[in-house]
Amino acid sequence: MTFSDLLLQQTINGLSLGAMYALLALGFTLVYGILELINFAHFNVFMVGSFIGMWTLQLMGINGQAVVMTGLPLIGVMLVALFVTMLLSGGLGVVIERLSLRPLRNVKGPAAMITTIGVSYILFNIILLTVGADSKNYPNPLPPIQWALGDAVLRLREVLIWVISVLLMLGLHVFVQRSKMGKAMRATAQDPEAARMMGVEVDRVIIIAFFLGSALAGAGGLIFGLYYNFTSFIIGFTAGLRAFTAAVLGGIGNVPGAMLGGVIIGLVESMGGQFIATEWTDVIIFSILVLVLVFRPSGLMGRVAPNKS
Amino acid sequence: MINRPITRRAAVGIAAGVAATAGLGIRPLWAEDKSVTVGLDFSLTGADAESAKRMENGAIMAFDEANAKGGVNGYKVVVTPYDDGTATAGQYDPAQAATNARKMVSNKATVAAIGPQMSGAGKAMAPILSEGNLAIITPSSTNPDITNPKFAAQYKPEGKAIYFRTVATDAYQGPYMANYYADVLHVKTVYLLDDSGAYGVGLADAFQGQAEKKGIKIVGRDRLDPKAADYTTVLTKIKSLNPDAIYYGGVLQAGVKLAKQSYDIVPKMIKGGGDGVYGPEMLTGVAYPANQGWYATVASPHVTEEAKMTQWVKAYKAKFNVDPDDYAVTAFDAATVILAAIKATSEGGKEPTRAAVRDAIQAVKVNTLQGPVSFDANGDLQDKTISVFQIRQDKDITPEDMRNYHYIGAAPSA
Amino acid sequence: MAAMTDLFTRVPLARRQQILTLLVAVAAIAFPLIHDNDADVDSAANAAAYATLALGLNIVVGFAGLLDLGYAAFFAIGAYAYGILTSFQVMPHWGPFWQPFAWLELVQRVPNPGGDLVHFTVSFWIMLPVSALIAAGFGVLFGAPTLRLRGDYLAIVTLGFGEIVPIVVRNVDSVTNGAAGLNGVQAPRLLGHSFGIAAWPYYYVAIALVALLMFVSVRLRDSRIGRAWMAIREDETAAAAMGVDRTRTKLLAFAIGAAFAGATGTFYVAKLQTATPEMFGFPVSVMILVMVVFGGMGSVWGVVLGAVFLQLLQSWFLEDISGWIHDLGNLIHQPWMLRIDLTESIELIFGLILVFMMLYRRDGLIPATRKQSALSFEQQHAEVRRGGFTALAGLGEFAREGHTGLEVKGVTVRYGGLVALNAVDLTVPAGGVVAVIGPNGSGKSTLFNVITGLTENDGGVIRFDGKDLLGLPPHQILREGVARTFQNIRLFTNLSVLDNVLIGQHARLKTGPIAAVFRPPGTRREEVAARVWATEILGLFGNRLLPRATQTVGHLSYANRRRVEIARALASRPKILLLDEPTAGMNPAETMELAEQIKSLHALGLTILLIEHKLDVVTRLADKVVVLDHGEKIAEGTPDEVRKNEAVLEAYLGRGTLAKGTVDA
Repeated sequence: MTFSDLLLQQTINGLSLGAMYALLALGFTLVYGILELINFAHFNVFMVGSFIGMWTLQLMGINGQAVVMTGLPLIGVMLVALFVTMLLSGGLGVVIERLSLRPLRNVKGPAAMITTIGVSYILFNIILLTVGADSKNYPNPLPPIQWALGDAVLRLREVLIWVISVLLMLGLHVFVQRSKMGKAMRATAQDPEAARMMGVEVDRVIIIAFFLGSALAGAGGLIFGLYYNFTSFIIGFTAGLRAFTAAVLGGIGNVPGAMLGGVIIGLVESMGGQFIATEWTDVIIFSILVLVLVFRPSGLMGRVAPNKS
Repeated sequence: MINRPITRRAAVGIAAGVAATAGLGIRPLWAEDKSVTVGLDFSLTGADAESAKRMENGAIMAFDEANAKGGVNGYKVVVTPYDDGTATAGQYDPAQAATNARKMVSNKATVAAIGPQMSGAGKAMAPILSEGNLAIITPSSTNPDITNPKFAAQYKPEGKAIYFRTVATDAYQGPYMANYYADVLHVKTVYLLDDSGAYGVGLADAFQGQAEKKGIKIVGRDRLDPKAADYTTVLTKIKSLNPDAIYYGGVLQAGVKLAKQSYDIVPKMIKGGGDGVYGPEMLTGVAYPANQGWYATVASPHVTEEAKMTQWVKAYKAKFNVDPDDYAVTAFDAATVILAAIKATSEGGKEPTRAAVRDAIQAVKVNTLQGPVSFDANGDLQDKTISVFQIRQDKDITPEDMRNYHYIGAAPSA
Repeated sequence: MAAMTDLFTRVPLARRQQILTLLVAVAAIAFPLIHDNDADVDSAANAAAYATLALGLNIVVGFAGLLDLGYAAFFAIGAYAYGILTSFQVMPHWGPFWQPFAWLELVQRVPNPGGDLVHFTVSFWIMLPVSALIAAGFGVLFGAPTLRLRGDYLAIVTLGFGEIVPIVVRNVDSVTNGAAGLNGVQAPRLLGHSFGIAAWPYYYVAIALVALLMFVSVRLRDSRIGRAWMAIREDETAAAAMGVDRTRTKLLAFAIGAAFAGATGTFYVAKLQTATPEMFGFPVSVMILVMVVFGGMGSVWGVVLGAVFLQLLQSWFLEDISGWIHDLGNLIHQPWMLRIDLTESIELIFGLILVFMMLYRRDGLIPATRKQSALSFEQQHAEVRRGGFTALAGLGEFAREGHTGLEVKGVTVRYGGLVALNAVDLTVPAGGVVAVIGPNGSGKSTLFNVITGLTENDGGVIRFDGKDLLGLPPHQILREGVARTFQNIRLFTNLSVLDNVLIGQHARLKTGPIAAVFRPPGTRREEVAARVWATEILGLFGNRLLPRATQTVGHLSYANRRRVEIARALASRPKILLLDEPTAGMNPAETMELAEQIKSLHALGLTILLIEHKLDVVTRLADKVVVLDHGEKIAEGTPDEVRKNEAVLEAYLGRGTLAKGTVDA
């Protein structure tokens, strides 16, 4: 394997990771932009999403990697799985917001953040206690198609991840920039009081933000399962932390920033693993987080956070 | 039978609970005229709960069988289970293990114990058990430090071995597999991986030492984060270095992901690990075809497929409704050893004391499921057989069946 | 029994607390004597260790309001510091360098064929404070770059450090023995005897540690330092404006919290005689947080109770309770009850505790603040005081000694493209009263913010008494004698009136953390004097505030909160007082009352800069009026001159009906 092929392969790996981190980072960014709340429950909404996706695929009769589909049936199955997963994950986000966060809307201090940690623990343990601690073999109907680029290999599932992620992110971007609700969201992020006075239903905006963020996390969970052919109750923590770092790096509250941050963190992980050592990956990523926060707290693309202190 | 240590707590217990207990809970020890107690300590809370339960089952099964036959020389065995996992730690908690060791020591009826699952817990327990002269037999903790004479002052301050194993330490499993790689598989270059855990790092270290002696070139080594999902990066690196084989020291939390992704990236490479990759998750979680060809070792002679085992496996499954793994076997064997020691010390109406049982365990020679067991002066197994397995999906059996691990033979000892 | 309860409630509160403390202490000391069970004593010692951790985290989360999700990192640092310095893990070659340490019995020379080696044998009793210091050092190291950040960012960064520390411990095998864990850590020795493995000596060390750290916590809480932490927790900006150095105060909380964890780590590893990196992961940090939340953030007794309860629950009761449920299920033939296993679902239970405590009982089991009894009718009856103060020591001297006052020259502030202030000039002579008026959004509050250092400027000069204020942080500006109130009242809502006023004095008091704990006579005198001064200030408002001195500010009426804010600013002994719409929201009678009081302060010699909409108040008080519009000064002069100025009329009236309401003279 030549060095350039190696670099190419690690770039492909990094971009795939980055696409997943970006999807997850978007949820952090949406909620943080509006509520200034780090939502730790998001970590495990992602995890639950990957299980929802698994069950949906299994209900459609797909088990393990034995069933391989092509053409229209494949597209149909993928769309149904994606739709169901996003809908249910989004619903989960809405339930979390309604039951545990709305009552704390006007409470100062770390109360809301502590609550999200509690919710995260609850989701984690419900899955652990119901489906068990063992890793699950993820149903995957994708045909094993791959293309050789020199010694590097590009597989269908990588292309699929990129396409789905980019489409979802574009969709979100258009929604936030163009739609009426998107404008209301941006207005609320700028100044909730003023937005409320201008007739924006802030509670609704927050619900929508939770729904979209959680739905994207669910999609991320499904993609995760399809990419790695496995899922387990434990996948939320590391992925969530890295995605949060991505959101901060890109500029928290900034939708394109989250995508950029995700891709950068993905590439850092793959290149760091190649040229430094995997055992230091977490240290490298957290160092980036700290450095960004110290020297450029608004992130690479971020707006300056409105001073609401 | 299982007795939970309740009475002690009446003084500090919750009033309602105490009232309830008084009516229902207490099965007093003194009701049986002759009994001895054996403590069990596994990590029933947190990350390792599943395999903990399997081991606990194995031990309980042996004692239940003995009690059903009327006990050992008239002595019934009372089992007191302890949990060294806590939610605080999210897994095994050495502080809780130390507390449990004290609980065992301070219960005068306890003559021996089985456990712990993890070496980290064993390190905290050993000094306390040594002080109490209470022998413990571990079915699964393989880190060699505790029985290493170099650390005798810490782990057996009273001088006598009290930490026995019905499982070989990493000090043999890793090196024997290195021999197997060099002599049988003719591996010239290898890439080492571990999963950051005490077991995995120790195993990979031990493998590395012997592999270098055998002339295998270590082309690189990396540490996997078991909580991370993506190992494609490191596998791509391995692909570019193109070694003959991978050796993985670690358990299945990282192992499942490693097996899946290595099948995608380096499908033809020789891949193997220790007893950490010998488990049902390798069959159900990794599944066909990604698990094909993986080598695993078990630190005991292979017996489960043999005729007498078939019956045992059936009985275990009927009783607990789960499949046994090899550590269920080593736990059962630990119980067998303890039963033999109780028998030896209670012959002729003598009372089996804690000290006598320890000495009897040290001197034991008993036939167990894994074969004849006896201990050296450090508490390690005399017979250090390492069995090698390879996963090959058999057409006649279900994918979950542990018989898909095909026994290859014992690994060379030198 | 009822009679006993009755008797007990009649004992004064402070006395009752003393009696309870004594009872708890006696019970804790007697426990191993009356309950002769090594294992239970051992669990109790572990629980006590977690209580010390909870006490440390309480300083960070409860007192200072900083969410730290990586607290276990400091626990790990303390543990490994002791572990490495008392085991055979690190053994450098012997050389003459080590000889002095050998005499001090910190190291031993170990014979070795390949050259003698050094074995560290530092005493447990030395390491206890040293580990605390090492951990505090790391606290400063981790905190310094991150404490400037908003609280929620801090949470994620601490989480990161909490992850990194165990990774580093695992990866530097040569120092820590990596994942396999430390071997051969020595037990503490006392008077030549090793603690060995018996549980009771550890138990007594642990409860002594708990008692000590509770004492330290309480002393810190009730001091200048504790008040500053709580001020930051309640409102960082207001705290800075009242003279609290944010970064230093937060760092101090972080370092002291870390120190508690470091000492506990040393105790813990000495007791276990081994340590593995897995012992200090994220679940541990979260569990300590659960303990603090459960017991009551900010409540010293609460967090100790929370920690002890949750720890003993796991170690003593959980298996028993499950067993009882199973027995009950057997008895009443309910097979589902047999499947309940609390040990498995304990983490779920802790998650539920976090959520339910936050939703329904944020104060925890033992709330940090207790309810106040209602005021009597007489106390509620206002006894108005309309100025006429004769002397308030130190308030007027500045003007009488002929200093120059406040000079603002060409100050410009831009927010993005918007110019909030454009080259504004303003002078307030010492002893003068200047009023700033202007329509909403004309830049008045921005002017205050830039003078007090809360907003950065884009050019200009601000001098007070000849000293340049620009670029100074807010707390230093207050030190220079510039105190302010806020338009939208920024009090420390959950603190008492008295505490608010005491925080106003922060910059004028000296007590540091060490003096706060030991309370030498000087500190006592200072604290008494501070309370006398606070009472004097509160007395300015007749009996509006004095009877409510111990009440929480959040429960006061709007007008009273305005008064507290002025009192808080006055408490800092300012040379110039900046009042931002002090009479906003007051009825005419209250407005006149306050105007008289301000006038009286002026008569004492206090220099005042005032933002005010009510023109009658302005006319009554001000020597000079400055009018701002769209960030520009459009007029300046006596109240009468300004009233006739056309530009002013244009600014107020020329904008049609929207602006009308603002000139309600």
